[in-house]
Amino acid sequence: MSDDFNTYSEPMLEMFMFETNQSMEQLEEILLNIEGNSTITDDDINEVFRIMHTIKGSSSMMMFNNISKITHSLEDLFYFIRENKIYDLDLTRLSDLVFSTIDFISFEISKIEKGKDPDGDESQLTSDIKDYLNSIKNDHPDQEIILSEDEEDHENFISKENLSQDSNEFIAKIFFEDDCKMENMRAFTLLRDLEEIISEVTHTPKDLFDDEEAADKIIEDGFNMLFRSQEDYDKILDLLEDGMFVESVDLEEVENEEEKSEEIKKTQVDLEEQKKKTLNETLKNPFSLNKNKNIISVNVEKMDMLMDLVGEIVITESMVTKNPEIQNLELENFDKAARQLRKLNNELQDIVMSIRMIQIGPTFHKMHRIVRDMNKQLDKNTRLEISGEETEVDKNIIDTLGEPLMHLIRNSLDHGIESTEDRIAKGKDEKGLVSLDAVNTGGDVIITIKDDGKGLNRDKLLEKATKNNLLTKSPEDMSDKEVFSLILLPGFSTKDDVTEYSGRGVGMDVVKKSIEKVGGNIQIESEKDVGTTINIKIPLTLAIIDGMKISVGDSIFTVPTNTIKESFKAKKEDLIKDTSGKEMILIREDVYPVVRLHEIFGLKSKKTSLLEGILVMVETEESNYCLFADEILGEQQVVVKPIPAYLMQYTVKDSGVAGCAILGNADISLILDISGIANKYI
Amino acid sequence: MKKVLIVDDAAFMRHTIKAMLTKNGFEIVGEAENGALGVERYKELSPDIVTMDITMPEKDGIEALKDIKKIDANASVLMVSAMGQEKLVKNSIIAGAKGFIVKPFKEDKLVEALNKL
Repeated sequence: MSDDFNTYSEPMLEMFMFETNQSMEQLEEILLNIEGNSTITDDDINEVFRIMHTIKGSSSMMMFNNISKITHSLEDLFYFIRENKIYDLDLTRLSDLVFSTIDFISFEISKIEKGKDPDGDESQLTSDIKDYLNSIKNDHPDQEIILSEDEEDHENFISKENLSQDSNEFIAKIFFEDDCKMENMRAFTLLRDLEEIISEVTHTPKDLFDDEEAADKIIEDGFNMLFRSQEDYDKILDLLEDGMFVESVDLEEVENEEEKSEEIKKTQVDLEEQKKKTLNETLKNPFSLNKNKNIISVNVEKMDMLMDLVGEIVITESMVTKNPEIQNLELENFDKAARQLRKLNNELQDIVMSIRMIQIGPTFHKMHRIVRDMNKQLDKNTRLEISGEETEVDKNIIDTLGEPLMHLIRNSLDHGIESTEDRIAKGKDEKGLVSLDAVNTGGDVIITIKDDGKGLNRDKLLEKATKNNLLTKSPEDMSDKEVFSLILLPGFSTKDDVTEYSGRGVGMDVVKKSIEKVGGNIQIESEKDVGTTINIKIPLTLAIIDGMKISVGDSIFTVPTNTIKESFKAKKEDLIKDTSGKEMILIREDVYPVVRLHEIFGLKSKKTSLLEGILVMVETEESNYCLFADEILGEQQVVVKPIPAYLMQYTVKDSGVAGCAILGNADISLILDISGIANKYI
Repeated sequence: MKKVLIVDDAAFMRHTIKAMLTKNGFEIVGEAENGALGVERYKELSPDIVTMDITMPEKDGIEALKDIKKIDANASVLMVSAMGQEKLVKNSIIAGAKGFIVKPFKEDKLVEALNKL
């Protein structure tokens, strides 16, 4: 990057990357549309052209020459297509070129993001694009003329009828500054500026528009003019020197007709006529872009800081209002103020949360590309169906979702969807279907990836798991769900099913890990020859939840309030045991299992009889059950902190703990993972 | 202080031009992301100078230039062009642009061009 830019480089670079990435997404969408409809519209051509043009401009400003070269060549291609209205295009080849360009640019941008120089070699792709352009040109030889037609027969220049007797003749030689670019157009601008006061103009180079070397000639020899004017020498000199980027002017008043420069030949054209002509060829703009006007983009880091700060405020608020030193005091006004503070804090949180929420749509739409590429490579015929794209999720979660989704989609296409022949043989629709859906269920977002492929094979999975020593139970005891979950274990994917796509050395365990990193979990359902459904459940936001504090022995646990149905003291007559001795409780004629927290966490508690403590009924998406604790301490908002890395190695995650929180008195409380406990202990 | 209106569809370019000009004592009174908005802003703000990108959605720079010239025949509009747009530059010059600058440009060139207006 040039030194010139260092002053602004940081925000410039960020904006450049942001805009370019956005444009790439837009471009990809257009391309997929073109492929989907198998036609290309004028709007598409214009839009691709415009995007390329914009990126070319921005990247050349940033001195990213490879990006600007490649966008330039694609811009040329679409320019030709647009100007000559060519519709019989080889869309596959065209979209392959554009897709390759998108990949190239995205890859370069990713290098820039990592602080490296974008040093990719664009020459191969550029020459491919040029080859294609040439092949179109050859197919449409007659149309090339159209390109230059409207610029034909402009002899340049200006004539003025009001030639006065006492006008003088001048010769001028003008050089423009280095690097001011388009010297021919600079010269043209000068001519226009002088239009009022000069007449009978001739100049070299004589052709400023169609002569491709005009600019170079001006750089080399200057712009030479011969003209008449009634103005005096000084005024003309001033005007010329005042021209934009004019470096030097050599102006001479000609005394004698014979001294006219030989090299200047006469050509004339009426500027007025030229004006009319060019005005008629005004460019139409059929773009229709709905841009939101009142939106600002904010650095995510700032948003994270704001979020953390709000988290701290919530903790501090409870440190103040739940302070042990004032616990037993009657403080009417204090309580009132504390309630007000609480209310405002809640609003603050809501707003900060809502700022961070973005729609999942764009993440979903990126998958179109994966499906397209995989279809091509694996010679399969699959379509992707997307729903629930307006569902909003926290920005951080969205960022983590891309990779796992991509992996799951790849898996579906690679291992799930059968080949066209197999599908026909099975009597299925020959076109495979992968669908992506997102729903907001209140506290969580559930993302479903569903395919109508061959489904997971229980026996094969078990066989493989046995071979890799991954089984902890005997196969007969395992439910289908447990068997399917085997594929999530590290070390399950073996070398022999690594293909170009699903392979890449990452298994489903990596998918699971990234989902868990954002507090989510993953569930697999599958039916032979019907397909596989993968449900990913993710909390809507990571940071702050309403929690109910319950005590067990000396420990305080937090139960997310939105999972609690009710809490009650058990009555002796309602307690029952099932045949295997598990404790159950009968409530309104339904039976619910009881989970003793002190038992599952190995804690010492004085209240070991179900009649002494309290039962809290919680719900998961599958069933309800009761947690047994000593007592309920009260409600409190808590900021969810992840489980520290050194604890993660002891499978804390699987033991029923979702995270930790700091309480008002600076104690640490573990947040219970309600569905995790259900999966493990019921 | 000269009041400048920046019209460009790329936020990156607006930002770049703004940074360059602010540093050199121009006052950026407004920005617009397409030609149609540019004309609106011109009416509202009556800036001393407009920098006008040529290729934009909604209404391109040349159309916007013509509209602005209709409002104020003396308007100082500097076109911002890319390499290879000679024809469009020509049309803008005929339509009354005071000058043009070609991307990529350096700060001194931009400032010099604006000072000439």
